[in-house]
Amino acid sequence: MKGNNENIYLPYPARIVRIVEENNQIKTFSLTFTDPLRNESFEYSPGQFMMVSIPNYGEAPISIASSPSRPGSLEVSVRKAGALTTAMHAMNEGEILALRGPYGKPFPMKSLEGRDLLFVAGGIGLAPLRSVINFCLDKKKDFGSITLLYGSRSPEDVAFQSDIKCWQEEESMECLLTVDTTGPGWLGNIGVVTTLLGRITPNFARTSALVCGPSLMIRFVLAELSRMGFSDENIITTLERHMKCGVGICRHCYMDNTLVCVDGPVFSLAQLRIMQDTELC
Amino acid sequence: MNDHYILKKDHLNSLLRRLMKEYRLVAPTKNPHGDTLFSIIDSIEQAHIDLASQPQGSIKPFLFPQQEVLFDYEHSATIDYHFEHTPDSIPTAFFGVRSCDLSAVLYMDVIFSQKKRDPYYFEKRNEAIIISLACNEPFANCFCNATKTGPFLEYGFDLQLTDLNDRFMVETGRAKGCEIVKRFQHFFEPVEERDSKAQYQAFLEARSHFKQQVHVEQAIKRLAREPIPEEIWESLSLRCQDCGGCAYLCPTCTCFTITDLATSASSGRRIRSWDACTFSGFTRMAGGHNPINSRTHSIKQRFLHKLKYDVQEHGRPSCVGCGRCVGICFGGVDIIRFINKACGQN
Ligand SMILES: Cc1cc2nc3c(=O)[nH]c(=O)nc-3n(C[C@H](O)[C@H](O)[C@H](O)COP(=O)(O)OP(=O)(O)OC[C@H]3O[C@@H](n4cnc5c(N)ncnc54)[C@H](O)[C@@H]3O)c2cc1C
Ligand code: SF4
Repeated sequence: MKGNNENIYLPYPARIVRIVEENNQIKTFSLTFTDPLRNESFEYSPGQFMMVSIPNYGEAPISIASSPSRPGSLEVSVRKAGALTTAMHAMNEGEILALRGPYGKPFPMKSLEGRDLLFVAGGIGLAPLRSVINFCLDKKKDFGSITLLYGSRSPEDVAFQSDIKCWQEEESMECLLTVDTTGPGWLGNIGVVTTLLGRITPNFARTSALVCGPSLMIRFVLAELSRMGFSDENIITTLERHMKCGVGICRHCYMDNTLVCVDGPVFSLAQLRIMQDTELC
Repeated sequence: MNDHYILKKDHLNSLLRRLMKEYRLVAPTKNPHGDTLFSIIDSIEQAHIDLASQPQGSIKPFLFPQQEVLFDYEHSATIDYHFEHTPDSIPTAFFGVRSCDLSAVLYMDVIFSQKKRDPYYFEKRNEAIIISLACNEPFANCFCNATKTGPFLEYGFDLQLTDLNDRFMVETGRAKGCEIVKRFQHFFEPVEERDSKAQYQAFLEARSHFKQQVHVEQAIKRLAREPIPEEIWESLSLRCQDCGGCAYLCPTCTCFTITDLATSASSGRRIRSWDACTFSGFTRMAGGHNPINSRTHSIKQRFLHKLKYDVQEHGRPSCVGCGRCVGICFGGVDIIRFINKACGQN
């Protein structure tokens, strides 16, 4: 991409065109670059992330939650976690932030073609998987059946409700929701997301599992999928680390000899085992 | 083949003065407190250029400053978010750079270009001329013989000087060095056989004068072969005081952080500053979760990065044997201590 003298640290201004409040912690922002040429030339794949600049707060890595099969606007879903994300939540439609990216290795979409897909997500972890799900739904003939297991803390915390509604209407897709603690009117499952794994009967040979959520959840889900019979190559997750540059120089996101920003954030369980990641496996 | 010339010591200041007309000159100077540091020279007469001591810092801060402005920004809510980078590149001649520190620059050249090209580093690097000085007499904590980054180098410099008492042997390395010799021919004389012999003698003597015996090769082999016992990481990490001194002084430590410094509610500067993987906050994520136990493993990444991961990636360690972390660490958590422990010595 041209412009800005190819200075990798210079972000590009982008306008917030729409904000959807997913729950009281998560908002989804639809963004477009203020430079129309950049909108046209911008390309990405599911699983990649952007560095989002908020004036006076710096930058944070945020996964792209939209699918490249739906061009027009770029969507990111952000959970209020600290200073920058809180400032972002205070911004309004029409206001300008800035972006650089896309960065990171995406999900291996080509090698997932023809396979059944099992998505297991917790909380904001559905954001990067939403990109994959919508991508696959837009190219139905390239992929097999889709199952989503989604865990939230309580019924009020269930995010991405309008997406889930659309997905529930899809014939090739099944959505199972669970909450840790129930509330009025909840008809779904109660318990952590691993309890949903007992309710499905995947064909292990033709299914790949894609997992994202808090690290403790990832740990339990990876172990359970492995125990159920998924091979390590067919269990794929995406990791979160402290990141500053996003392009493999500052080294904040190291995991032994890999850098999550450029070698990941998408890793298979097989890769994590080689890296001897003691936190997740 | 490098070309060789003789520069009489009497001519050194005149040559440096000529260079100062076109370049900012940076050389090791002794300050009134007795510290030798690389500094910008305004006047050759007034600066105490000190080629006899080991500079306490390297030239890293001139190419990768402790703090630098990446750009200024201006934000107007719904209208624009504007970024302005003002390039900062003063042609600089570095004089008296030791072999270890030059090797560190060659490492930084790779680090700041292999994944993505870092414009801020190369803005300065491309404008730099490096005149190095081979080490005839290694300093107390030096072990560049073990890291193969000295005491004399064969490439990487623009010019390499070897002290031969009343004169310097000058070797041309890269094109910029050849150009200097060509442009200022009258300072340089042809080499005689006795000069080459004297240089070789100096080289042999330097190699035999190392006071530290550091088994870098052996440690690298062990790290490649098997994991280091947890007790070693723990015992060293528990003595790390989280000061970052080793990383700041180390000529090859290049981790950094990026922060916004507000100058008003809607404007500010994005700053890059040195960081250290030994700091407990280096890997801490929003919400406080830290994937690294910094109490017991704060120093693991520092040593493995230098002696294992960089060997895997670049075929050589990224410790250049300058010994600075040995002098600075009051907890004794320096790389020689680690190498000794990794080799089963105490
Ligand atoms: C690849 C990737 C994708 C992500 N995708 C999403 C997403 O889609 N949606 C989402 O909501 N989140 C996502 N995250 C997480 C998101 O980046 C963080 O929640 C965000 O950076 C928090 O920023 P903050 O300023 O609000 O938090 P703060 O807690 O204010 O901290 C900001 C940063 O500073 C560091 N920090 C805080 N305190 C200290 C200290 N005392 N010392 C040193 N460092 C400190 C933290 O480690 C943190 O990285 C993703 C992260 C990664 C790596
Ligand atoms: S690790 Fe220590 S001895 Fe090695 S280059 Fe860095 S400061 Fe010098």
